[in-house]
Amino acid sequence: MTNNKTILVAHREFIDNVKTKGFWIGILIFPILLTAMIIVPQLLEKTRSARQFAVIDQSGWVLDAVREGMIEDTARFVLAREATPEDESELNGLVGREELFAYFVIPPAPETSPAGARYVARNLADDALEDWFSGLVNTVVQERRLAQANLDPVLVRWVQEPVRFEARKIGASGEAEEVSLNDRIRQMAPVGFVYLLWVGVFIIAQMLLTNTVEEKSNRIIEVLLSSVSPVQLMAGKIMGVAWTGAAMLGAWLLSFFLVTKYVPAMLGAPASLDLSFILQDPLYLASFAVYFVLGYLLFAAILVSIGASVNTLKEAQNLMGPVTILLIVPLMAMMPIAQDPNGALAKILSWIPPFTPFVMMNRAAGPPPHVEYLGTTALLLVSIAVALWVAAKVFRVGILMTGKAPTPREILRWIRAPVGSVPGRR
Amino acid sequence: MQHALHVDRVTKRFGDFVAVNEISLAVPTGTIYGFLGPNGAGKTTTIRMVMSILYPDQGTITVLGNPVPEAVKDRLGYLPEEKGLYKKMKTGELITYFGRLKGMNGHDAKRRSVELLQRFGLGDWVDKKCDTLSKGMGQKVQILATLVHDPELIILDEPFSGLDPVNVELVRDVILALKKEGRTVIFSTHGMEQAEQICDKVLLIHKGKKILDGTLREVKASGPRTVIIDYDGGNGRVFEGLPGVERVNDSGKHAELTLNDRTDRQALLKALVDRITIHRFDTREPSLHEIFVRAVGGHVDE
Repeated sequence: MTNNKTILVAHREFIDNVKTKGFWIGILIFPILLTAMIIVPQLLEKTRSARQFAVIDQSGWVLDAVREGMIEDTARFVLAREATPEDESELNGLVGREELFAYFVIPPAPETSPAGARYVARNLADDALEDWFSGLVNTVVQERRLAQANLDPVLVRWVQEPVRFEARKIGASGEAEEVSLNDRIRQMAPVGFVYLLWVGVFIIAQMLLTNTVEEKSNRIIEVLLSSVSPVQLMAGKIMGVAWTGAAMLGAWLLSFFLVTKYVPAMLGAPASLDLSFILQDPLYLASFAVYFVLGYLLFAAILVSIGASVNTLKEAQNLMGPVTILLIVPLMAMMPIAQDPNGALAKILSWIPPFTPFVMMNRAAGPPPHVEYLGTTALLLVSIAVALWVAAKVFRVGILMTGKAPTPREILRWIRAPVGSVPGRR
Repeated sequence: MQHALHVDRVTKRFGDFVAVNEISLAVPTGTIYGFLGPNGAGKTTTIRMVMSILYPDQGTITVLGNPVPEAVKDRLGYLPEEKGLYKKMKTGELITYFGRLKGMNGHDAKRRSVELLQRFGLGDWVDKKCDTLSKGMGQKVQILATLVHDPELIILDEPFSGLDPVNVELVRDVILALKKEGRTVIFSTHGMEQAEQICDKVLLIHKGKKILDGTLREVKASGPRTVIIDYDGGNGRVFEGLPGVERVNDSGKHAELTLNDRTDRQALLKALVDRITIHRFDTREPSLHEIFVRAVGGHVDE
């Protein structure tokens, strides 16, 4: 019977939330943004016209040598004109009118005196052309210098050959394994999950706060309380909003999987853009699900207490300040923890209950030792139990209080008062 | 069962403030019972304790024969003073939801909500959202939501406040209809007129204390009787020295005399005929308002 009523409240709450525009915007915005993030750079790349450029070669041999070894890249760069120093003012005009992207000036003897080499363009932000062409020029000039010094180019290249360290990691088998690009992505993936977790917990806990305040200012609370107990009502609300949040996050994960798996292929992009493998890691998914529920419960207990104690959303916002600051910490620690998942910062923050869900998710690439999983989660569970107990007491008294918003001292008295009695207001 | 509700020496404090002070009352099954008193008298607190929204600090409350009010919550219907609806829900859904919260199954609750809406002239509004309702219709829907589960005891907190005369009449008709069906109705009000018209029994409370209770007849009999006189003539001191008259409210052509319990009205009339020309001599029972004002010492903060 008791649970039945809680479920009824939760069910109504869920249906009510799902009917809002905000919910559907929230569900749709993520895949749309994700698709845009994949498609837009590709489209930009495709639509960009080839850069037309000119060269004033004062040396008389560099451009020829470049051309000899030049790997044509006509899709991106087109040598439109070979000019002489006298053409320079005309070229300036062309560049100014954007009829020409840029021009290069090669000095008379770049092998002895590189001074006077110039790159003239209007848009200096896009340096792809400069990099590409100067690389080609450098190669031919270096070869000319080697020849003049009677050095064998093959020998020189061998001398310059760097020693490359191949990255390996110790996997679950205890053996060193090769590191693929996917491994590197896997290492950073928890950051994405933390972000998603954070946004999810924040949005839906906020939803709970708004709903509670609205229900209270709607005066509907008292009718409800004539049928259900305050605890059933609170539990139902928390549960209903949790379902809403789970539906939203579920939709996000599903759309992430579908978008990363199929959209790049549709655009003819390389398979390396397929990030859907991240979602097939059981540790990540399990951590995400568990820490979403636990993190939400902790913040839900805090926010439902706030919602029950105030009368307007404005008053709620004032009390939300400290909670928001609390929530920003794991966001700021996100990158340092991702780089050092088992470092001191990560270990310390894991033991602070409001941060535990985010930080432990963040460390999943580590992954942390079992002891830490067990210890921090146990501490988190205890905190949730305490927070819910406090929330129930605050909710019971606060939900029927109208008038001035209570001070923190008053709320403390509500928590200390035995169940059933109503402390006065001073 | 004799009594739908029995409250025995119940006290409720909010910190140092005593909201309800040793109140006792009994509501016979099948009657309409009025809680009367000014704002802040303790009516709402008493009702909330009956509904087990609050718990008494002392005393016992027996509802429908059960000393644990919480156990019979589902057999009670409650309309609080602060009334609200879920704006985005359809009226039919809303009433169904409240029925289900009272333990009805989905099918019955739905059937009954449509039935109630039709019976009270809101059949076309089953699928309309609550924020499209007028104030009067909203009030009706709220009352229906308290009736959906066929409660044996219905408690309405200030059901008349903020309503225009048409809707006041409407709510009154609903209450009378409930009585005809054999249900018990308790309602609170700070306006005495409605209570006078429909209550079988009343309770007067002031500053958390019971002032008096009983059937309307008993309560009225306990109060002073008045005589209304329209007259001509006299010298301005007509009503001085009359036997058995406690208080006089004289406007020159019209006067109200408050009599004590033993006054012989025939003797009074005889005495007056000698002094003035009488156009009207009307004895009547005191209004609840007069009784109340006298009982709390002539001062009511409304």
